[in-house]
Amino acid sequence: MTAATQLAARHRFQWWELLPWIAGIAVFFAFPNYLAFGTQVLIAILFALSLDLVLGYAGIVTLGHAAFFGAGAYTVGMLAQHLGWNEPLSGLAAAALVAGAIGLASGYVLLRTHGLTLLMLTLCTMALLEEAANMGAAFTGGFDGMPGLKFAPLLGMFPFDLLFFRSQYLYALLVLFICFALVRALVYSPFGQSLTGIRENLLRMHAVGAPVRARLVIAYTISAALAGVAGALFAQTNAFVNLGALGLERAAGVLIILILGGYGRLYGAFVGAIAYLMLEHTLAKAYPTAWQIGLGVTLMAVALYAQNGILGLGDALRRRLGGQRAP
Amino acid sequence: MSATLLETKGLCKSFGALEVARDISFRLDAGARHALIGPNGAGKTTFINLLTGLLQPSRGSVHLRGEDVTSLAQAKRVKRGIARTFQINQLFRGLTVLENVCIAVAERLGAGGSMLRPAGRRTDVIENASHLIGMLKLDEDAGRRVGELPYGRQRLVEIAIALGLNPRVLLLDEPAAGIPSAESHILLDAIATLPKDIAVLIIEHDMDLVFRFAERITVLVSGAIFAEGAPAEIAANAQVRSVYLGNAA
Amino acid sequence: MDQLISILLGGLAAGMVLFIVSVGLSVTMGLMGFVNLAHGGFAMLGGYVIVLTMKHWGLPFLPALALGFAAVAALAVLLERLLYARLYRASELDQVLFTIGLVFVMIASITLVVGPETQTVVLPDWLRGQTDLGFVKYRSYSLAIIVAGSALVIGLWLGFERTRFGARIRAAVDNRRMAESLGTDVGRLFTLTFAFGSGLAAIGGGLGAEILGLDPQYPLRYLVYFLIVVAVGGLGRVTGVFFAALLIGVLDFVLKIYFPKGGTLFIYALTLILLLWRPQGLFGKRGS
Repeated sequence: MTAATQLAARHRFQWWELLPWIAGIAVFFAFPNYLAFGTQVLIAILFALSLDLVLGYAGIVTLGHAAFFGAGAYTVGMLAQHLGWNEPLSGLAAAALVAGAIGLASGYVLLRTHGLTLLMLTLCTMALLEEAANMGAAFTGGFDGMPGLKFAPLLGMFPFDLLFFRSQYLYALLVLFICFALVRALVYSPFGQSLTGIRENLLRMHAVGAPVRARLVIAYTISAALAGVAGALFAQTNAFVNLGALGLERAAGVLIILILGGYGRLYGAFVGAIAYLMLEHTLAKAYPTAWQIGLGVTLMAVALYAQNGILGLGDALRRRLGGQRAP
Repeated sequence: MSATLLETKGLCKSFGALEVARDISFRLDAGARHALIGPNGAGKTTFINLLTGLLQPSRGSVHLRGEDVTSLAQAKRVKRGIARTFQINQLFRGLTVLENVCIAVAERLGAGGSMLRPAGRRTDVIENASHLIGMLKLDEDAGRRVGELPYGRQRLVEIAIALGLNPRVLLLDEPAAGIPSAESHILLDAIATLPKDIAVLIIEHDMDLVFRFAERITVLVSGAIFAEGAPAEIAANAQVRSVYLGNAA
Repeated sequence: MDQLISILLGGLAAGMVLFIVSVGLSVTMGLMGFVNLAHGGFAMLGGYVIVLTMKHWGLPFLPALALGFAAVAALAVLLERLLYARLYRASELDQVLFTIGLVFVMIASITLVVGPETQTVVLPDWLRGQTDLGFVKYRSYSLAIIVAGSALVIGLWLGFERTRFGARIRAAVDNRRMAESLGTDVGRLFTLTFAFGSGLAAIGGGLGAEILGLDPQYPLRYLVYFLIVVAVGGLGRVTGVFFAALLIGVLDFVLKIYFPKGGTLFIYALTLILLLWRPQGLFGKRGS
């Protein structure tokens, strides 16, 4: 296969790409008592996927991505609580719009800077939104948030049940599927290629005439909208929103998930979310302090030796065993 | 009468007290095969940076095909027809040779921002890029990561990218540096295939290459134009010899 | 009027603590371009050493401060040589990741060894009570902090501007490669600066235990504040950090009293506007 035909075929579906979705459906039947946890995993995957677009592909290091997650969650929450607007699908759309708008506005302004200043500003923006949510207690419920949100049944037929999470799980799976398809298409498009170019060599991208800032802002906006959808799902499936949707903990959490799985390669979000949440679920409750130490040490080790996460390690292993370069 | 593609008027640049470009007035006409030479530190790369917009001048102006582009950023100038290679390769090291050139070609064809169709379906981009790769004898490396290639071949990729932009003005900053002399003809052959009305400016230290390629030579010393003329004139110029050529290999 | 001065003094004290903790971060970030999100962790560790040796070993105040400085500086040297130094050429992302991991380890270690409760400082007699300044009476402790912070900034300024060592640091901040080619052993410079800066942070953590509190969550709770002070002041500029810290400290203090609801928001918004207008900070060098 020549390089050209290889490149031309890169976007084609590989058979193993079906596996995550088959597994997703299998879980629905095999683990009916764990669907609440499963839903959280799906939401985390979507959130991490949105971060991968800006971090893994465009190379924008941000510690404030929870700003958009929270924006989506609070949009849905406030619509349901104050306007009685509790139809889930339109709520999702509204969340995507609001989060995307905030992403566009902040991205347009912030992406003029880079490096530490940019990192700082993303943190600041998120902290600003968090404070605003804290202050606007009349709208947002302040520190206590908005518990006990009520949502209409999906498509009028499938109510959200807070005991077994059956509808929520399939709902989240479907939304994830659609969003993933979108991100995948984006990544394999010339636009996605140019994001990789920006990440790999900014100077070169300028020198080939690419409108770098415009591309970054667009990527940031789309990513923000997707994070907003994840936040909206969170609010809808769990029937509550609080400040935890917005803080440093959530932003650091999604960053950790993505890095652990492997950034810049679409499926890292899947691997990272599943691995991290499963470990956290079993270990963190039992031994919280030991969990934090273990997590800290793991992060340090990853930063020093395994910057490409689990998938990166898998790649390295495969290369050792004589395999071919992964797509 | 040949059109002036690139022109500078009294271009000056200083960093504090250090003047790196002094009142440079320079012209490149269509079809020019021009070489810029001078001792190390003369300001040749700085000049290219000023031409392409990587640096803003302290005074003076840059004109591209009659239009004053002095305040335009790099990317906008590229869209108006000027392309360059860097003295130190600026490549996408994690991507393959083909992908590297495709990115440049995609931008030129206006496909760079396309979000809907997969890049793989843009056969025009891929074919174009493949053709350029063939021209620079890089076919066997087309699928390899640039970072894995020897420096000389990386240099050729750098040139392929610039060619992929189909510029009207091509600026090459020491293109042969790092290319084994046995292969340097690849470079000249590739330039020879370019449309005759393109203007090409080369910065080079390899005098052999300069005299084979250039129809006109400018000598830059300490940020100012020291001498300018046909190769024979420059070679015969005693002052130039003493300032520069006398020490060349 | 009295109240105004009291508030101002309170803000200045808070600002001084911010300064003492953050100055080390600013210099190391300016010097090595290393994003050290674990800096607050050093402050916390120092605070704990100081508070606990005073409480359990009966160590007097000043020796406790010295011990805190020394212990954390030693730890910093160890960590820097063994781990940090490997990441100087790494990507920003890796540095962020590493230091987040480190701060997690620090937080969890303290929780494990000491416990999650907030620590209180038992002040020595000579720092308790109030001092009469003539125009106002104010807490002696806060005044002492203001004096200490002022002495520190003057000392640091003299150190930077008047000594060879300081000149080397300034040169390396301005242009590391140039400094290296002129013979400065930048590696050793950085180890010393990192140790000193972390030691100062330790003192800041101890001194500020009353004002900022001291518990295992300290590093993450104040991370944004330290980063704001450093970014607004301009990397590597001692005077910059000083004024930024005072500004933030006073603003925060004043706003907490008059606008308890909107204060922090205002500071974040102000920082955003400031950094967008001048990305290099108020005192930083353009184009860095």
